[in-house]
Amino acid sequence: MKLMFKLLIVYFLPLVCVPTTNAQTPKYQQPVLISSAGQSADVTLAGMLFKKLKLHYKVINLAKETDLEGINTLVIVPGFSSKGLGAAGISREDEMKRIKELINSAKKKKIKILMLHIGGNARRGNQSDDFNKLAAESSRYMIVVSQADEDKFFSSISKKTKIPIKLVYKIAQASEPINQLFNQSPSTDK
Amino acid sequence: MKKNHIIALLIIAVVLILDSIAGIEFREMKIQEKIHPTKTLTKESSLSEYCTNLQGKSGDAKIYFFDSGNLGATVLVLGGTHPNETAGFISALVLIENMDIKQGRFIIIPQACSSGFTCTDPMEGTPQSFTIETNSGPRKFRFGSRVSNPLDQWPDPLVYSHYPSGQQLSGFETRNLNRSYPGRSNGSFTETVGFAIMELIRLEKVDVAIDLHEASPEAPIINAIIVHEKCREIGASAVLNLEFEDLQYALEISPKKFRGLSHREWGDATDVYPFLMETSNPIQGRLRGKTNSILITDGLDDQYERAVRTKSFRISYELAGEPLSLRVGRHIQGIKAILDSYNEYSNDKKIVYENIPSYDDLVENGVGSYLR
Repeated sequence: MKLMFKLLIVYFLPLVCVPTTNAQTPKYQQPVLISSAGQSADVTLAGMLFKKLKLHYKVINLAKETDLEGINTLVIVPGFSSKGLGAAGISREDEMKRIKELINSAKKKKIKILMLHIGGNARRGNQSDDFNKLAAESSRYMIVVSQADEDKFFSSISKKTKIPIKLVYKIAQASEPINQLFNQSPSTDK
Repeated sequence: MKKNHIIALLIIAVVLILDSIAGIEFREMKIQEKIHPTKTLTKESSLSEYCTNLQGKSGDAKIYFFDSGNLGATVLVLGGTHPNETAGFISALVLIENMDIKQGRFIIIPQACSSGFTCTDPMEGTPQSFTIETNSGPRKFRFGSRVSNPLDQWPDPLVYSHYPSGQQLSGFETRNLNRSYPGRSNGSFTETVGFAIMELIRLEKVDVAIDLHEASPEAPIINAIIVHEKCREIGASAVLNLEFEDLQYALEISPKKFRGLSHREWGDATDVYPFLMETSNPIQGRLRGKTNSILITDGLDDQYERAVRTKSFRISYELAGEPLSLRVGRHIQGIKAILDSYNEYSNDKKIVYENIPSYDDLVENGVGSYLR
């Protein structure tokens, strides 16, 4: 009987101690606006993930407040790219200003933000981390390809801010949490 | 004969011997490597076919055509744009010496900046050559300069003004093929080479063009595929497919205002989808230690290892090194992924080929196993 009791405790303990994902995970709704923070081409890869999941989305690299019209979720894909900034014809400072304004506008409009960091190590370091921190701290949920979190950069932000984080090994594996975030029971609140 | 005369004669003799050795080594850089294409080679040509001003000059790089005879896409692969970025040249050789074309056409220029293969960069202390063990014995290849030989184009201006944009770069870049596009037929030596490559793309109606490069481990854009914005989806799809094979590539978009580069000018001036790939090559890096031919082939450097262990820098360097076989493997697998992705996106034109080794083949068996 004692053994049975112990087994029951061992079996059910995780359910009691670990908060369920639903208790922490925000609900995201379509349509989605995907934008970059740092102008890396990872935003194109993010678009492909959403396309594959058949979610209603649009990708605007240099999204502004007006692009948030009718949008329910803002996905920010952070990561600095000198080539990307060159392609966009803007400076790093311009990009930082734009993304701060976009985040503030989204917050005012009560649009939920999802951070998707899929560039791994290539999108870490001095030039990228300002964008990474800003996007992470502004989001309600973070999905990160784990190579970028080897030094616990994102996990520390998650721990400090209580923003849930999902680490995935590969870019393609980000599809699963994205799907879960958008396929929960519909919610009217933003 | 006085004592001082004997000493003077001895000095002259020593100088003559040293000069002779240096002269022999200098002339060796003019000797072109033997290349052994497969039987599916249909034509061998050179850049002067596209710009007659290159005739008889050291910029008249060889071109290898593999035409299946079946209608399909035309793919151009460039190695040796920068002759000190060895993996580009050797990857092109792997294609030439293994290619079995089934549909469409491959055009391969293994030593695009052939002039740069005739010298090394001053003050770098790099070796002139390196050797790869193959099934038929050791094969020696030249390790060249990043730019055209100054004997072909001299002097460098203080400031290089790119034609036609007027963009200004350091004078050294005037001999950089990948700053010369679109070039001009009557321009500088390097501009003429750039022009000939542009003409080839136009006249042969190239659909996909891939320029193979390498960079130092500390370079910000490394292990990457750089694309013109018109083919960003093809690039993104290739990156995702490569990731399924556990190969990480950063996707980068070509800057619109940085002129003269292949991925910008080819894409702007022609219908081609241009791509450029970079791998991590320690011999190009500032942190490197002992600089010799082993570093080219084994890619193992104690100073980079130290930098990784101490986390001094955010660099792309594996503790097992960045051997040539791995770097060639990344290029070859990258080419395959880009072409697979192109085939998915293209409704009418396809490229089909066989017998090209995979990344795993190259890493496991060594690149020498795929050179004749």
